[in-house]
Amino acid sequence: MSILNEISEKLQRGRAKEVSVLVEQALAENYSPADILNQGLIAGMNEVGEKFRRNEVFVPEVLVAARAMNAGLKILRPALISSGVKPLGKAIICTVKGDMHDIGKNLVKMMIEGQGIECIDLGVDVGPEQVVCAVRETGAKLVCLSALLTTTMTGQKEIIDALVAAGLRDRVKVMVGGAPITQQFADEIGADCYAPDAASAAIAARAFFEE
Amino acid sequence: MKASERFRNLLSGKPVDRLPVIEWAPWWKLTVERWLSEGLPKNAAATVGSLQEYFGLDRCLQLSVKNRTKNTPKEPARGAGIITDEHDYEKILPTLFPDVGTVVTEERIELLHRQHEDGKTLHFLTVEGAFWYPRVLFGIENHLYSFYDYPDLYRRICNEYADWLIELFRYLLPRFQFDFMSFAEDMSYNNGPMISKQLFDEFLAPFYKKVIPVIHEYGVPVFIDSDGDITLALDWYASVGADGMFPLERRAGVDVSVYLDKQPQMAFLGHFDKMCMKHGEAAMRAEFERLLPSMHRGKFIPSCDHQTPPDVSIENYFTYVKLLREYAELVTHKDTEIAPCPVFSENRREKI
Ligand code: B12
Repeated sequence: MSILNEISEKLQRGRAKEVSVLVEQALAENYSPADILNQGLIAGMNEVGEKFRRNEVFVPEVLVAARAMNAGLKILRPALISSGVKPLGKAIICTVKGDMHDIGKNLVKMMIEGQGIECIDLGVDVGPEQVVCAVRETGAKLVCLSALLTTTMTGQKEIIDALVAAGLRDRVKVMVGGAPITQQFADEIGADCYAPDAASAAIAARAFFEE
Repeated sequence: MKASERFRNLLSGKPVDRLPVIEWAPWWKLTVERWLSEGLPKNAAATVGSLQEYFGLDRCLQLSVKNRTKNTPKEPARGAGIITDEHDYEKILPTLFPDVGTVVTEERIELLHRQHEDGKTLHFLTVEGAFWYPRVLFGIENHLYSFYDYPDLYRRICNEYADWLIELFRYLLPRFQFDFMSFAEDMSYNNGPMISKQLFDEFLAPFYKKVIPVIHEYGVPVFIDSDGDITLALDWYASVGADGMFPLERRAGVDVSVYLDKQPQMAFLGHFDKMCMKHGEAAMRAEFERLLPSMHRGKFIPSCDHQTPPDVSIENYFTYVKLLREYAELVTHKDTEIAPCPVFSENRREKI
């Protein structure tokens, strides 16, 4: 098995230490940082996402895999920077005002990061002003909004409206999700995209930045 | 027919005069606030029991038992844990598991008896399950890692908790006959269970296999309370002897008729799609019509599939209760052959 496949395999099993060692080894063997990232770490995370979508692996397995990805990235990052490989783009994620549910949001964040996208987490219970500020300050091009309650899902619309009012709507794409959210709701509130699970969210995020 | 007899008959597969008309969950604070602004009298909103009475529901009262004491450290932030590793656990261990006689005092037991005397009240006991309890200790996120990071500690936590529960059940259940009990789990979401069957078998199943037979000795049916889509997890809980599940969240994609096919010995409570209530009588009637064939198959008690959301007016809630009663009265199970729940099965009785 090639070392890049091995990185992907170990990542899928959540073996953070082994992933770190293998990434170091791959760098020492002169694999390009971009190949280690794409064919090792991201390939592994994509597999995990697909299996998660098919209910073949579950939340704990995704979390430990994402942790292994981060361990690998930590080793790889200096090499990525010095070889000029940049993150695919920058995204913001949060759970909307009045809502404390964050397991789903955290998974979406990890999966998006698993695509080589930088993802800034604003946390839970986040209102429109905070999102508008964060978009201004970070220049993020993608805003991801999570809502788990029928009482808070309207918070997603409030954020979209605030982005319009701040003149920022054309600069960002908005992706929405969470248990009560549907494609129809996403269309009604003027979101650019809806995804039913973290793996689909990551694929959609990648597509945005590759457009 | 008295409430307890009706419930027991239903779960034993025997005829009933009608189905129970119950809400198992306490109400969502925001919903009650809305209803107060729409004329709900303040004294009616005082307790779960007074709300049930005001709306004309059968009384269904819950006793939740705390497994921690006032000396147990509080979570530093919502969802954060109070332990990381075995060392932390050992430190807090002396503060866990209060003396069973103090968690449910003799006075409390007397009160339960008095409440039960009217023949109209169902009582159920709730404790945390083997997913929920370690989650409180580890914190929401670390709990999900703990299956991989601290497997031995996870097993130890559940095992010691099971020992304490058994002590509690041996003390409490002979003193008061609960109509049913529930384990709070919330281990599922819209796309299915949060953990795999493998993790369930390794970490949760031993706990349930240890405690459920003890509860069954006292003739108390065991329900598992988990939101989300529990279609896969249904079989896992069935395999450890659970008698029923609730609330069977419709919007998460649950279909009770599939459950009745898959585990015909189990009882189901809930499944009425709370999201339709705001649309008024026609929508609610349509929802009851969807449920009626499953109600006729036995051991399925329709009830809100979790707390009524704040977008439901008090008027619509009254309509809901009226329809719930109307449909509950259509079901008597006189001429239907229905498998009893495991706790009431001949098989189990022979084993004792
Ligand atoms: C765990 C849980 C809790 C935990 C949350 C812990 C935490 N830190 O997150 C606790 C116990 C704190 C909790 C509290 C409450 N909860 Co709650 N909770 C749940 C439960 C059981 C699971 C949610 C979960 O963690 N899922 C696991 C993750 C992995 O899934 P997910 O969040 O859906 O995310 C996936 C997708 O939706 C998607 N996704 C998520 N976010 C995003 C974002 C984007 C951009 C995209 C593209 C995709 C995406 O990808 C994820 C992974 O694939 C759900 C049941 C359910 N059906 O979801 C109820 C549920 C959401 N809760 C509910 C309620 C009512 C409450 C409370 C109001 C209860 C109360 N009365 O106090 C409080 C509200 C507190 C608050 N203000 O937020 C109701 C909501 C009903 C309604 N009308 O909206 C539900 C549906 C339960 C039910 N049966 O009705 N809850």
